[in-house]
Amino acid sequence: MLDKSLIERIINKALDSRADFAEVFIEDKKSSSITLQSNTVENAVNNHVHGTGIRVAKGHNSVYGYTNSDKEEDLLALAEDLAKSFPGERVRETITLGELTRGESHAIKRMPNTVAMQEKVAIVKRANEAARSYSDEIKQVSASYMDYVQDVIIASSESIYVADQRVRTRLGIHSVASDGKDMQSGFNGPGGHYGFEFYETFSVEEAAKEAARIAVTMLHADECPSGTMPVIIDNGFGGVIFHEACGHSLEATSVAKNASVFSGKKGEKIATPIVTAIDDGTIENAWGSANYDDEGRKQKRRVLIKDGVLTSYMVDHLNGLRMNESSTGSGRRESYRYQPTSRMSNTYIDNGDSTFDEIIQNTEYGLYAKKMGGGSVNPSTGDFNFAVMEGYLVKNGKIEEAVKGATLVGTGKDALLKVDMVGNNLLRAQGMCGSVSGSIPTDVGQPTIRVSSMTVGGRKGASS
Amino acid sequence: MNFEPLFTIAKAKGLEAIQVYLEQDGKLDLEVFKGNLEKHEMADTAVLSIQAIYKGKMGKLRTEVIDLDLAEQWVDELIASASLIESKDEVFIYEGSDHYESVEGLRQEALENLSIEKKIAMVHALDDKIRQKDSRIDISQTFYGQVRKRVLIQNSKGLKLEKDVNNAILGAQVVARENDDSRSAFDYIQSNDLGDFNLDDIANQCVEKAVSQLGAQSVPSGTYEVVLKNSASASLLHAHVSMFSAESVQKGMSKLVDKLGETIADEAINIVDDPFRKKSAKSGAFDDEGVPTSYKAMVSNGKLTTYMHNLKTAKKADTSSTGNGFKGGISPTNFYIEAGKTSYDEAVQSLDKGLVITDLQGTHAGCNPISGDFSLQASGYLVEKGKIVQPVALITVAGNYLSLLKDVTAICDDLKMNFGFIGSPSLKIKSLVVSGS
Repeated sequence: MLDKSLIERIINKALDSRADFAEVFIEDKKSSSITLQSNTVENAVNNHVHGTGIRVAKGHNSVYGYTNSDKEEDLLALAEDLAKSFPGERVRETITLGELTRGESHAIKRMPNTVAMQEKVAIVKRANEAARSYSDEIKQVSASYMDYVQDVIIASSESIYVADQRVRTRLGIHSVASDGKDMQSGFNGPGGHYGFEFYETFSVEEAAKEAARIAVTMLHADECPSGTMPVIIDNGFGGVIFHEACGHSLEATSVAKNASVFSGKKGEKIATPIVTAIDDGTIENAWGSANYDDEGRKQKRRVLIKDGVLTSYMVDHLNGLRMNESSTGSGRRESYRYQPTSRMSNTYIDNGDSTFDEIIQNTEYGLYAKKMGGGSVNPSTGDFNFAVMEGYLVKNGKIEEAVKGATLVGTGKDALLKVDMVGNNLLRAQGMCGSVSGSIPTDVGQPTIRVSSMTVGGRKGASS
Repeated sequence: MNFEPLFTIAKAKGLEAIQVYLEQDGKLDLEVFKGNLEKHEMADTAVLSIQAIYKGKMGKLRTEVIDLDLAEQWVDELIASASLIESKDEVFIYEGSDHYESVEGLRQEALENLSIEKKIAMVHALDDKIRQKDSRIDISQTFYGQVRKRVLIQNSKGLKLEKDVNNAILGAQVVARENDDSRSAFDYIQSNDLGDFNLDDIANQCVEKAVSQLGAQSVPSGTYEVVLKNSASASLLHAHVSMFSAESVQKGMSKLVDKLGETIADEAINIVDDPFRKKSAKSGAFDDEGVPTSYKAMVSNGKLTTYMHNLKTAKKADTSSTGNGFKGGISPTNFYIEAGKTSYDEAVQSLDKGLVITDLQGTHAGCNPISGDFSLQASGYLVEKGKIVQPVALITVAGNYLSLLKDVTAICDDLKMNFGFIGSPSLKIKSLVVSGS
């Protein structure tokens, strides 16, 4: 990694202009991945990502450049090119960096590079066998193992000079069930900010069977009826609804540009009073946690919505200047190839008072979305859509037949105001979140919740 | 760069064959938001991918630290990687072909020679045009992205191929607002010919699209005749393109298994994969495995004529690679449904009561490329007696992609390629299930 004096020279070269902010993000990330399909290990690849991103700004206007050269002349030339966007007299004094501070939380017990590849291979094999043993109808399983060690150094003209090491691992199991005519798939993908010890914290077999169970259940499911109805969204990955429909609209990325439905709504009621929502990048060893954000600020716990009232956005440094707010430590990016912007970490709706059974029993007719698939949202309108991976109809307070092919459609601000029951069984699940600063690990989460009315799209036509 | 020293070490350590793929990218990205230059990014990167055969298995690595002093370490990693592989599939490092098509104009230097200042001015000019067009345009975001990509493929069997391509995209995302209603739209032009970047076209398209969506309402649930606009149809094809990959077929993850020679679409439908299409960054004479690319009809008069193959799947199916071996798997080059003769306006006017779908959201999650089932959020217009009567939003359309291809009743003449170089003209569809109010 680059030494302190070179980093200082890069920053000072960039500030040899009217620019008032310069930042260097240095990354070295070694990852390994193994994929198994058709009962055999098909791929084992090591990947070494290595490069430097330089950001230079005047006020909230920034320019960004990156390279994977470590050569002093290349880096200084890039800094000089970037500075050209702000021609004029220098406005900042010469910057001297302090002592390097290292992140200490989220301790790792077994570093991935100390674990034999055979041990990692054994994990995907166990997952494969467990998924296949669930049912004869499971015709295909792909299991993937991934780990990485990402070392970063972040330095900026704002007295920041920190180092962080993010060690993450994830197991993905994708199962396909078929009866010869129809095919359905199920996915489960547990992960965390852990080394190889992660695989002692849960049962690989149970995780794999879950992916198989979804595929088999959906194979025997009827098409989902369409219409407007109450929707019960289960805990865990069900939190993707909040992530997509509301979380993205609470990021300064869209709020600062007045492009979010929640712009200017701080202190206002945006949800029913039973909704409290939190984005917490400090949860010990969670998938979306880190010591520092990718602008070198301490990760934090942010209460976004308290009892239905909007209390905080997620803010990065430059959007903070635009909004006249401080950074909340939410600046994140996939790699040195991206400028950071405000992003979620581990985001969830907090526990309420209802039990799961109470929520089901109080629903006369509706859809119980047990496992959510992915979704997307247009942050300017708040329009969202989600695929339901595993769903059931609820009739007269009881969970009835399984239904497939459902999509939930709505707008974030309406959905939040229609949450009429919140369970007490909070659970988080892992996902990859894609946005302007790349694809980053985030946890979604919630207890079981009920939205009193939502548009459900299905292939069976209108429900009666 | 000369990789011969790596090949020598590889041979000494017992590797049977080795191939490098070096990609060097130069990028420029500009974005103007509400009149300000909000994004200005430049990058120079190089990525080296190496694959090598050891005891009949393929070891792989990817690195951004490109330093031949690491050659020995790379070879050790490749051996370790190969040693884990259990797949009995035959692996290949290609010795090269006698004939590679000569593809002209992949790189247009004029694109790179135009100064950054002029490119910034162009993005500002697009923004100005958009905001002057309609007072209801609340937010405009215009962008220019340019990439130059140089590829070197070299292997121990004597293959050495080079490619130098550039391409740019100019586009805009706008939000129109009226009362409490806001609607967004997006349009772009992608080319490596500066003359193609017509600012008025982009401005007209996206302003018209956003403004005409204001006041959009849901429609009653039911079954509707539909005109699927070119860009929406392209995104739907994109989500299902893996069906045509021999890899998906051989793994039982495509409904097109055993369908070669059979009718899978209306007989007017022709789908091609065209690696020689002009002004496209996906065009070129060879794929990532070094195999010559070829122009091919995938679907001809509704009949499935071929899958996309790489070396591995071709061997399994006892055929030749179609030159679709990209990024370690199989991808199309420029893949599109060929244009027909109907004009888009005619197609809309021919609807008695139906919907025009201009936009589909969430295709990454709402489509199942294995079964072809989809259920997607959509927006567009309600048409009655050939006339657009109301903008429509917050509905979902659901169906099966293969059924949809069979239900095509008219193909328009307005082929449009999307970001991923997958394209379609607008299609008229007999019926789709719509869930609304």
